[in-house]
Amino acid sequence: MQALKKLMGTFECEYVEDYKATWIKAKLHSKDDLIELVTALKKEGVRSLSTVSPTDFLADGIMELNYFFEDLQDKRNLWLKVDLPREEEKCEIESITNIFPSASWHEREAFSMFGVRFLNHPDLRDIIKSEDFRDKYPFRKDFDWVAHESNNLANVQQIVDAFKKEQNENEVDLDPDSSETILNWGPTHPASGPIRLRVHCDGEEIISIDPDIGYVWRALEHLIELKDFVGAIVAVERLCFMDNINSMVGYAMAVEEIADVEITDFAKWMRVLLGEVARVSSHFMGLGGFFNNMGLHTLGMWNMDTREFFLDFLESYSGARIATAAVEPGGVRYGLDMVMFDELQKALDKFDSSVDEVEAVFVNNPTMKLRANNVGVLTADEVHAFGLSGIVARASGVKTDIRIDEPYAAYGELDLEYITQEGGSSKDRFMMLFRDLKQSVEIIKQAKLHIEKAVASGEMHPTKDHMVKVPKKLPKGEAISRVEWARGEVLMHLVTEEKAKTPYRLKLRAPSFNHTMMLDYLLKGQTLSDIPLIFGSLYICQGDLDR
Amino acid sequence: MSDLIFNAFVFPGLLYVLVWTVGLFWFFRKFMAALHKRVGPSFNGKGGSYQTLFDLSKLLTKESITPDGVNPYLFSTMPLLAVIFAMLPAAFIPWSSGFVVVDSTYGLLALVVLIGIEPFLLFLTGFGSNNKYSFLGGIRILTQSISMETSFLLAALSPAVLFSTMNLTSIVEQSSWFSFIVLFPGFVLYFIALLGLLEQPPFNIPDAEQEIVYGFYTEYSGTNYFLLQLTMFVEFMAVFAGAATLFLGAYKGVFFDSYFFFFMKMILIAIVMMTLRAATPRITLSQMLTFSWKYMVPLALVNIAWVLFAKSLWFMGA
Repeated sequence: MQALKKLMGTFECEYVEDYKATWIKAKLHSKDDLIELVTALKKEGVRSLSTVSPTDFLADGIMELNYFFEDLQDKRNLWLKVDLPREEEKCEIESITNIFPSASWHEREAFSMFGVRFLNHPDLRDIIKSEDFRDKYPFRKDFDWVAHESNNLANVQQIVDAFKKEQNENEVDLDPDSSETILNWGPTHPASGPIRLRVHCDGEEIISIDPDIGYVWRALEHLIELKDFVGAIVAVERLCFMDNINSMVGYAMAVEEIADVEITDFAKWMRVLLGEVARVSSHFMGLGGFFNNMGLHTLGMWNMDTREFFLDFLESYSGARIATAAVEPGGVRYGLDMVMFDELQKALDKFDSSVDEVEAVFVNNPTMKLRANNVGVLTADEVHAFGLSGIVARASGVKTDIRIDEPYAAYGELDLEYITQEGGSSKDRFMMLFRDLKQSVEIIKQAKLHIEKAVASGEMHPTKDHMVKVPKKLPKGEAISRVEWARGEVLMHLVTEEKAKTPYRLKLRAPSFNHTMMLDYLLKGQTLSDIPLIFGSLYICQGDLDR
Repeated sequence: MSDLIFNAFVFPGLLYVLVWTVGLFWFFRKFMAALHKRVGPSFNGKGGSYQTLFDLSKLLTKESITPDGVNPYLFSTMPLLAVIFAMLPAAFIPWSSGFVVVDSTYGLLALVVLIGIEPFLLFLTGFGSNNKYSFLGGIRILTQSISMETSFLLAALSPAVLFSTMNLTSIVEQSSWFSFIVLFPGFVLYFIALLGLLEQPPFNIPDAEQEIVYGFYTEYSGTNYFLLQLTMFVEFMAVFAGAATLFLGAYKGVFFDSYFFFFMKMILIAIVMMTLRAATPRITLSQMLTFSWKYMVPLALVNIAWVLFAKSLWFMGA
């Protein structure tokens, strides 16, 4: 930390201050220093970039860029700000993609949504937004959504025209004498989900892959700005339906930080408990999906069977099985009736009775090992360079887990250890997912026991302690929060105005974005058979990919 | 003449094939459902037994789409040819004592050749579809059948070598518990090669839906798709019946000989195939090639040597 602070001292900054335990927050005086600074940062050992997030201050005429740099190894992070003029012609800055490869798509996203031009970016094309937003920047505060949407028929026509144009032209540049071709892997493909990979291939061999994303773009970051602080949770949880609790926890933490509210112990433990149940239900899908992509649906079906019991618990607690809306700023939304723990106990029993079977048949499956070993190998250095997180990072032996690095909710009081896997192949990612699942179930057991004891001794009151009051109007401020989501790190950057009733800006940084960036890198030179395998092993969800 | 019509349209011809397809399809779905811990078809008929009948008749009434830019003759005749060729082996199978439509000295050869033609017809369906995925599927099916048929033929030859005849009836008549044990390695090889020929896991490479969207099936719908599904199930029948005839003594049973035992043997092979299907992911094309040429073919040759050795030891006097 000290070295990092010293490094910042050598540059002209408006301020350099400590923020939380592991962060330094700094604002660069001039954008001209950026390249020099990030080069020095990388030398210092801060090797990952989490995201690039512009905030559009319309009244001040400023486009503020936020860079979030992370050091996965030594747990020291830098939140770097720099101001740009917000006029479209002057809104430009040097790209850092050549130094931090993980910036590539994040800069493309900032360009597509805010019109920030990144000079010397190797591939500055639109990403995520659909064709009717071409040359429009939807997340700018002065963008007129009503006018845009009043013209829906023309917008759809524009999308169709663009599609037909690409259909006619996409193979024009190929050598007619070769067997090269372009395959569309998605968006309506048995294994793809709503994502499209333009697979440039020669027979079975892949030459390159260009992912085309945005098929489930809901402009969540914009929708959140239309809602109040409590209502925003329903947009936040739709980051991905499979693990919705932890994304709400992240958002609620950011709001609580700005409102300066401390939540009760009971709410903290409930966030752990619910969060792990959601993680478990997501991991069940991920494990099944991995085998589904190799043409074997049995594990997916078995996991569905067990997962239902965990969803039963969520239903008894919140009334909903998937989109629970169960966590809100100030605590958790509902009180807990202790009989609900019976449902949870049923789920845990079901898990314990079936986990050995799954391990014997699928985790130790010789054909799976034959197939997935040594395919899609990621080294620890690549994990750092591309800012990967969650099980993908841990499968390559990188000790990163935000529950331990930067404990939130009640994770600090838990008995928790890093679990990692050496090797970094698709098989290791599957193994990692399975071990992570088992760890989560252990956490659920710990949390359940703790709550039961505390309630019995009268320390916690399950029907009164679940919420503290959070004011409806928040002061001017900003906060970031990070949570270990099922798929990896989710970083939220919340900005509020004076007496705000709605968030001014919420940046959602989601892990699948970085993981999808890796597809081209991992699949070049492999065969078509490896696409579903590697895609499945990266544990990608299109919900948080597009947002 | 009336015998011939009966053979062609009732048993072991069209009607038998349809009933087998509907029945086996339903059995596969129910059996697979149990392995998957789910229910399977359950609404129509007892245990959902009408469901496949409805599904297949639905396919017949659906619009058959012929895509733009394909040769309609190639596209639509291939599924029909594929069914007919898949039905032919049934004529050479001794279904019960004394019942065989064509009692040929070259029965075994006919069986192997007719089963071996099938992949080429399916390749042509993929080739005729004018679709990149179908074409890739077609190429894969050729690659796979060429490498699997070698060991399939060698494994199928082992009973012929042992009993010095290619007549299927006389192979069945000469078989015994002891010959079953001698031929058991051959049976295992035949079964593995059968998985490759029928595109069953772990060798379901040509119609891998996650990779190439069902391969040669991609463009087919309605009646043509029905015919291709029918082809697959009829091929199951031919190959299972081949296995039962060559290695398991066909209709021979305990206490009495009957078609019933033949049927049970076929279902037994189907059950083993389904169980493998529920527990084995797909391997890649290159892994299949390595497996076939590095292990299967040499082992099949060793098996022939073993059968010859066993023959000289125990079967020469008989």
